[in-house]
Amino acid sequence: MKRRTFVKSVSLGAAAIGLSLSDSLAAELSFGGSAPPRYLRPPGARAEGDFESTCIRCGQCGEVCPNRCIQFFELENGMSSYGTPYIIPRDQACILCMKCGEVCPTDAIEPVERLMEPILEQVKMGKAVVDENLCLSFQGKTCGVCYRACPLQDVAIRTGLLEQPHVLDGCVGCGLCERSCIQLPQAIRIIPDYSHA
Amino acid sequence: MNNTVIDKNAHQPLFLWKHLNKLRWLSLTTVFAMLVLIPFLHVYQTFVSAHTYDLLSVSEKQIFDTMEWLSSPFISDPEEQLDALKGNTWSGSFGGVQLSDPLAVLGQIVSSQAFYWPFILTALIPVVLTVFFGRFFCGWICPATFLYELNSNLGVLLRKSGLHIGNRRFDRRLKYLVLAIGLVVAVVSGSVAFAAIYPPAVIGREIYYAIALGGFGSGIVFFLLTLLLDLLVTRRGFCRYLCPGGALYSLLGRFRLLRIKRIVESCNDCAKCTAVCEFGLDPLHDQFGQECNNCTACIAVCPTEAMTFYFSPRDIANQGPGHLGRKYRQQNTLINQAEKTIDDK
Repeated sequence: MKRRTFVKSVSLGAAAIGLSLSDSLAAELSFGGSAPPRYLRPPGARAEGDFESTCIRCGQCGEVCPNRCIQFFELENGMSSYGTPYIIPRDQACILCMKCGEVCPTDAIEPVERLMEPILEQVKMGKAVVDENLCLSFQGKTCGVCYRACPLQDVAIRTGLLEQPHVLDGCVGCGLCERSCIQLPQAIRIIPDYSHA
Repeated sequence: MNNTVIDKNAHQPLFLWKHLNKLRWLSLTTVFAMLVLIPFLHVYQTFVSAHTYDLLSVSEKQIFDTMEWLSSPFISDPEEQLDALKGNTWSGSFGGVQLSDPLAVLGQIVSSQAFYWPFILTALIPVVLTVFFGRFFCGWICPATFLYELNSNLGVLLRKSGLHIGNRRFDRRLKYLVLAIGLVVAVVSGSVAFAAIYPPAVIGREIYYAIALGGFGSGIVFFLLTLLLDLLVTRRGFCRYLCPGGALYSLLGRFRLLRIKRIVESCNDCAKCTAVCEFGLDPLHDQFGQECNNCTACIAVCPTEAMTFYFSPRDIANQGPGHLGRKYRQQNTLINQAEKTIDDK
């Protein structure tokens, strides 16, 4: 009986220590210290931190996503991100259908009406940035694919000479341009914005 | 003597009660089947909204056809109408009604440190039902219970085939500690920590991952570990000793109105009820307590129909040995003899 209590207390203590270390431990184990992946939160999501404490990991945002762009974190982004939704725009980008905000029970993803004005105002997933050294149009080969993929043409992106893309202030960061870029690696990327309220 | 004669009709439980256990299995199976069906319906819905039938692979076409066959009698516009059936028992919308696990709501309040009423109210129906029926979720709804009880049955088979299966007992109050620690972790880490260790939430998520996202996540490892714990160390160990949701439901159902009681007049002390109880309670000695989930397994197994439902906010105290048992008869014959000798004098 004594040995049993000893084993029990030791394992409990180990579990407690493991729990307290798990955040850094998980990050260490899965990434070996490298930076976390460049991911987007679903449209209308709260600021990072606030989002993680509000989300209950029910997965309904992923289940309503008609484009199946919403994926869920394991431990690669730290313990507190476990089970939260994210989007890798190069894999599958958001089509701004706004269904995830509608279904989210906890308001972690705030509902946004599927109209131009509210989307421009409330959705801030990130901002597209063009790498002019990679972009075909900037190399003199007329392309313009990103402009044609954009759901907010001439508000979020416009084209200049030789279809050269220029990102405007209206860009909400849905990632459809990054998804559609025909260059490898892609010449247009979304720089995520996690800070919005 | 009067008390040796049993008025059978007065203490007969309703004939339906002993069949409730089958109904419970039906309920568990339905919930689990829905948990598998909903991700498939989601996949079907995305195929519909993308208009891609001709581009699908053979297996995807099979999913499409099966789901179309299953859902077409009920809905005409899958792209929109299937939105009404999402989520799992952790939180989901069923026919447009959002329902959430009380543990999800509690964890979310604590981690976000805010009261978001539209979400809190989604747990209203489960909480009210729990106040009336006790920890019924654990026995009647929980998708993890479905697998855990099958696991328990496997344990019985293994034991019959001569293998040693762990049947250790611990302190059942441990799970309240887990609940408390989980709440503290939720405050400190600022995330709903329960979602990672609460089996119904884990299994709901993992089934969705496996069907819609191409493979199980790390949660399945945790779930398999709990299955092994139950099989090798202690029967239904996670539910009995560790589950934070079970702890919360037990606390909510502490003064539940619908309870099971032993009819002492028709009990024969066979102890089958205590042996069958998945949650390690002791119906033979009237020890149900707040952790009884009204699963009715003890009613179904009772050979003398000595278990029944009754309404009361409290359990009855230990009624002593059953009147059909040897112990009671021995005691009574001794008392009778003693009374007789007193009468004779």
